[in-house]
Amino acid sequence: MAKVVPRPQLSFWEKIYFVEIFKGLGITFGHAKASLTDAAHFQTLQYPDEAPNLPRDYRARHRLMKRPDGTPRCVACFMCSTACPARCINIVAEESPDHHIEKRPAKFEIDLLLCVFCGFCVEACPCDAIRMDTRQAVLAADNRRAFVVDKERMMDWDPKDYPLEDTQSQKAPGGALHAQALQEFKSGTYH
Amino acid sequence: VLDAITHSWLWLHMYLIITLALPALIPITLFQVLPLLVLLERRGASFIQDRVGPNRAFIPVPVIGRIRGFGIIYTMTDLVKGLFKENFTPPFAYKSFYWLAPAIPVATAVLTPALVPWFAPIVYQDGSGDHTLAGTLIPSSNGLLVLFAMGALSVYGVVLGSWASNSKYSLLGGMRASAMMISYEVSMGLSVLGMLLIVGSFSLTDIVEWQSRHTWGILVQPVGFFLFMTAMFAETNRNPFDVAEGESEIIAGFHTEFAGVKFMLFMMGEYFHMLIASALMATIYFGGYDVLPFPVPTGLDFQNWARIDTSFIKQHLGGMLCLLLAVKGVAMIGFAGLVNGRRTNYARRNAQDRDLRLKEYAFYIAVFGGGGIACIALGAACALFISTQSTGNIGRDLLYPGWVNALAALVQFGIVLGKTLAFCLLFIWVRWTLPRFRYDQIMAIGWKILLNVALVNLLVTAIVAKAIR
Repeated sequence: MAKVVPRPQLSFWEKIYFVEIFKGLGITFGHAKASLTDAAHFQTLQYPDEAPNLPRDYRARHRLMKRPDGTPRCVACFMCSTACPARCINIVAEESPDHHIEKRPAKFEIDLLLCVFCGFCVEACPCDAIRMDTRQAVLAADNRRAFVVDKERMMDWDPKDYPLEDTQSQKAPGGALHAQALQEFKSGTYH
Repeated sequence: VLDAITHSWLWLHMYLIITLALPALIPITLFQVLPLLVLLERRGASFIQDRVGPNRAFIPVPVIGRIRGFGIIYTMTDLVKGLFKENFTPPFAYKSFYWLAPAIPVATAVLTPALVPWFAPIVYQDGSGDHTLAGTLIPSSNGLLVLFAMGALSVYGVVLGSWASNSKYSLLGGMRASAMMISYEVSMGLSVLGMLLIVGSFSLTDIVEWQSRHTWGILVQPVGFFLFMTAMFAETNRNPFDVAEGESEIIAGFHTEFAGVKFMLFMMGEYFHMLIASALMATIYFGGYDVLPFPVPTGLDFQNWARIDTSFIKQHLGGMLCLLLAVKGVAMIGFAGLVNGRRTNYARRNAQDRDLRLKEYAFYIAVFGGGGIACIALGAACALFISTQSTGNIGRDLLYPGWVNALAALVQFGIVLGKTLAFCLLFIWVRWTLPRFRYDQIMAIGWKILLNVALVNLLVTAIVAKAIR
């Protein structure tokens, strides 16, 4: 059954249009006045100069998590590169000097130009070694090679930029929980 | 030194020099207003829509860092871009008319300020007898008719441009625009007739003089003013009568095929037309160079009341200059206050360029605050040190020394320009408030409402004028 949409019935004052013009002018004047006198009125972000305030779970550039001794948590299991639909993760494994750990990455590269930022690598990782919570969503460079981030760049992050609740980050060197974690790590009780 | 100045060749031939310089000075001054209008349009639009607006382009300056000039740099870069863009002519266009069309709106628009009275006629005496320096560049007794004729000519730019482009989009846009402009010309002429009937002259100077003797046109002809204003919005192709360009519907209307300098000429003509329309409204209905529509008490005892007319301005030149400069100074200080608001806001924000911007804002505050204080100080000095004495009279006109006449003319020019800019702001304000009328609505308003109300207004005015006389 067709729904009948009634035409809006205009009152006399709306029909002669003049009153409505002045109402409209009043509205725009209010906006102009607020914009002119109150600098906090604008919602605008002065973008390249001001960083956008992204939520922590925004899928941005990747980082590699670190153990208390500063080595990557990654065990080069290739789960992430297998899960990756864009095939942008390139891992070369090597033997780990730590006899508790079988492998470690000799090379861990992500081509951000290929990456679709789906987050599957983060979900696939059994060791919580890769995360995408750097909030660096703006990636700019003047050559393609610069978009291929290597292991060192992905491990170059500061625990101070991450919240205290993020214990995994705080256990890395420089973090709030690092001293205790390092002790546990040396005594072999670290998880 | 004073004696050497007052007996120098320049001083003795002051009126000759002023007469020769005015035809250059007034259009140049108005051309300086054009980029300001573009800036006001952009910033006005953005502020009405709660946006920041253009604020990125800057000129690097050694000490201050950079100057963004509230967005005026964009207007400058637009000009440079337009000038250096390829002067393209489509292969299918009629070349001669295609090249001629953009010149017409600009040429007619630039000629029109010659007929607007920017200051009161100056009566003076020199070796060869009594003379009058008219406030218009062309002292014509039927200046308004010439003005309307010039305005009507701007339709030719639209029609020629659209037809010479030889493109159906241009032609459709041009037909709509020209039909509208011609329709509203009828209402425009009829609506202003009421005022002409009361004044009894086609000369714009006479109209302003009448207003400075009686009261402003808006108070005697309110209906006529609203009709005239509506017609003027249509004549200048501004919203809500924006069918000429009609951004959202018909590509760009009549100037679809124009680019670079030719497009810029169309735009310049449009803005100049808006400026002239504002000047006309200010002149015919808002007293032109007259200051207030009612007499003010000349003393604190409220015994003597006088209109602030030309002779009052010349008599109290120091006070008038003081008033004008004080208004300007307060406006500048207020503006510095607004900039300071921006500055404190930006100081709280975590931005990379914060220091650079704070330095820039501080510079603006120094310039406008200092300028405002300087203006007020200059005004106070004017009030204290300038006193004028008439040197004689020709009939009812008092004679004043040349510098008094020149300064009074400057004050009046400032008043006209201020009123004109106020109307330009109204144009901008309305453009970003109202949506565009449909084409049939435009025709209905023009022919069924405006024309009839204008006729009734004319009839009533005629009867009342006859009854009073």
